[in-house]
Amino acid sequence: MSTARSFSIKSLFARHEMVLVLVIIFEVILFNALGRRFLTSGNMSNVFRHSVEIGLLALAMTPVILTGGIDLSVGSMMGLCAVLFGIMVNVLGLDPWMAAFLAIGFGALGGGLNALLITRLNLPPLIVTLGTFSLFRGLAEALTRGAESYSGFPESFLALGNSDLAGIPAQIWVFIAVAVGIYLMVHHTTLGRSFRAIGYSQEGARYAGIPVARNTSIAYILAGAVAGLAAVILVARLGEARANAGIGYELLAITAVVLGGVSIFGGSGTVGGTFLGWIALAFLNNGLTRISDYRIMDQPIASVARELSGLLTGLLLLTALAIGASTKTLAVRRARKQSLSNIKPSTTNP
Amino acid sequence: MNKYFRELTVAAALILLLLSLLLFAPHFFQAQPMVSRLTSQMPALVAAIGVALVIMTRQIDISIGAQFSMCAVIAGVTAASGLPLGVAILAALGAGALMGALNGVLVAYLGLPSIVVTLATMVTWQEALRLWQQGRLLPLPDGIQWFGLSQGAGQALVISAALILLIAAAWGMKNLAAGRFIYATGSDAEAARLAGINPKKTTFSVFVAMGLLAGLAAVLNLVQSPQVQPNAGDGLELKAIAAAVVGGVAISGGRGTLLGVLLGMMLLANVNPALTHFHQPPYWEKAIQGLVILLAVVADGLRSRKNPV
Repeated sequence: MSTARSFSIKSLFARHEMVLVLVIIFEVILFNALGRRFLTSGNMSNVFRHSVEIGLLALAMTPVILTGGIDLSVGSMMGLCAVLFGIMVNVLGLDPWMAAFLAIGFGALGGGLNALLITRLNLPPLIVTLGTFSLFRGLAEALTRGAESYSGFPESFLALGNSDLAGIPAQIWVFIAVAVGIYLMVHHTTLGRSFRAIGYSQEGARYAGIPVARNTSIAYILAGAVAGLAAVILVARLGEARANAGIGYELLAITAVVLGGVSIFGGSGTVGGTFLGWIALAFLNNGLTRISDYRIMDQPIASVARELSGLLTGLLLLTALAIGASTKTLAVRRARKQSLSNIKPSTTNP
Repeated sequence: MNKYFRELTVAAALILLLLSLLLFAPHFFQAQPMVSRLTSQMPALVAAIGVALVIMTRQIDISIGAQFSMCAVIAGVTAASGLPLGVAILAALGAGALMGALNGVLVAYLGLPSIVVTLATMVTWQEALRLWQQGRLLPLPDGIQWFGLSQGAGQALVISAALILLIAAAWGMKNLAAGRFIYATGSDAEAARLAGINPKKTTFSVFVAMGLLAGLAAVLNLVQSPQVQPNAGDGLELKAIAAAVVGGVAISGGRGTLLGVLLGMMLLANVNPALTHFHQPPYWEKAIQGLVILLAVVADGLRSRKNPV
C-alpha cells in the first residue's frame, strides 16, 4: 500500500516536471519563431545573467515553502543588503569581497530575525515576513535618505556581474554552486527530508523527534543569506547599489517555486522543479523583449515586454495554483473513494 | 485582562503623541491643514475596515492597493468619457466587487492560501494597469472633484461617509448575524461549520466586501484631486494591514474591533506628519511601519503565550 502511494506521488512529480520541460521547449520554439535571435549563445548567456538573482531567491525559497512557510522579505532584504554593501565599500572603505561576505552575513542575520519570530514566538510566517518586508525596505530607504546610491566599485568586483568565466557568465558559476548545494541539502540529507516532514505535518515531525524550530530556522536563515548573495551579484551587474534593488523579486521567486510544482501548503516538491520553473519564467521574460514585429494595444510587444511578462507571470501563478489545488482535491476525492471501496467488502462479508 | 486592553493602549499612545505635538509643535493643530490631513486619510480608513474584516476571517488580502488603483482608473475613464459621476462610482464599486470575488473563489472554494492568491492578483492588476495606462495621469472632467461641491462641503462629505461606514460596520460586527459569522469563521472554521455557518460562503463574502470597500476608498480618493494617478494605491495594503494589526485585530483570526482599527489608523497616520513637525526626515516612514507591525504581532504572540486560549 505505502509503496503504491509513494510510487504514484513520484510519477506525479515526474509528470509535473515533464510538463515544465514541454512548456520550456514550447517557449523556445515560439520565441524563436516570433522573435529575433532568441536561441543564440549570446542571448542565452544574457537570459541567465539577468535572471540569476531570481533563480537564487527561488532556490532558497524552496526549503522555506517545503516547511509550509513563506518568506515575503527576500526582495526587501536584497535592497537592504545592497545598500549596506554600498556603504561598507564607499563610506567605510572596506574591500569589496570582504563587504560582499559581510552583506551575506547581514542577510543571514535578517533571516535569523524572521526565524526567531516565526519559530520562537510561533507567529505566522506571512505576517512576520510582511513586517520585515516593510522594515528592511524602509531601512534601506532611510539609510540612503530616499535617493542616494553608491557606485564606482572596482573593476575586479564588477567582473562578477559582467564578465565570462570559461565561456559562461561569471555569476552562473556561483548559481551552479548554490543550486548543487541546495539540491544536495534538500534531497540527500536528513535536514532536507525534515523540511518536507515539517511541511506535511509539524506536529507529526515533532513527535518523530525532529528539531522543528531549529530546522525551520535554518530554512529562513539560508533564505536571508542567499538574498544577501543575490544583492551582491545584482550590484556587481548594475555597478550601482540602490535602495530599490530587488523590488518585486519575492513574487517572481515564489512564482518559480510554485510553477515548479512545490506545494504551497508545504510537504512536497523538488529543487529540480523549482529550477525548471525558474527557466520557464526567465525565458518568458526575455522572449517577449525579442518580439518586435507584433503589437499589443498599439504598442510593439518588445516595448511593453516588462508589463506584459509581469501580467503573464501573475496569471501563470494563479493558473498553477488553481491547477495544483484542483489536483489535490481530486486526489483526496479519489483516495476517499478508494478507501470506501476497500471498506465495502469487509462490511458485507461477515 | 481587560477586554479592550489593546484599544486602550493604542488610544493612550495616540493621546501621548498628540499631547507632545501640542506642546512642541502647536501649529500641527491649525484647523484647515488638520481637516485636509484627516480627509486624505479617509480612503485608507475605508480600506482598513475591509482588511480588518478579512483578517478577522483569518485571511489576508495584499491585493487591495492594486484593486484600489484599478478601481480609481476605471472610475476615471468612465467619468472622462462623459458619463455622470454616479455611473463612475458604480463602475468602481462593480470592478472592486469582481476583483474581490476572484480572490474569494480562489481562497474560499479552492482552498488556496490567501497570501499567495492575493500576491498573484496584486501583480496581475498592477501590471495590467501599467500595460493599459503606461503610468499616464488621467485628467478628470470638472464637477468630479469634491463631488462638484465646494472644497469644505466635499471634505465634510468624504469624512462623514467614511465615519458613517465605520460606525455601521462596527455596529454590524456586534449585532448582526453576519458579524458573528465572521468572528466564528476566523476563530475556528470547522466549529463554525458544525454550528451551521457556511465558512466558505462567509470567506467569499468578506473578500467581495473587501473589493467593494477598495472601490469605495478609490472613489473617496478620486474626488480629492483633479486627476487620477494610476499608482495611487501603491503601499495601501501595508498601511491598512498595519492599522488593523496595531489596532488589535489578531492575525490568527476571530479577534479585534473596528474601533481599534480606527485608533490604529489614527496613530499610524500621525507618525509621518509628526516626524515632519519634529523636523525629522520622512524617510523612516516605511521602516517605522514595518517595525510597528512586528511589535504588534510580537505583543500578540507574547500575550497568547502567557494566557493560551
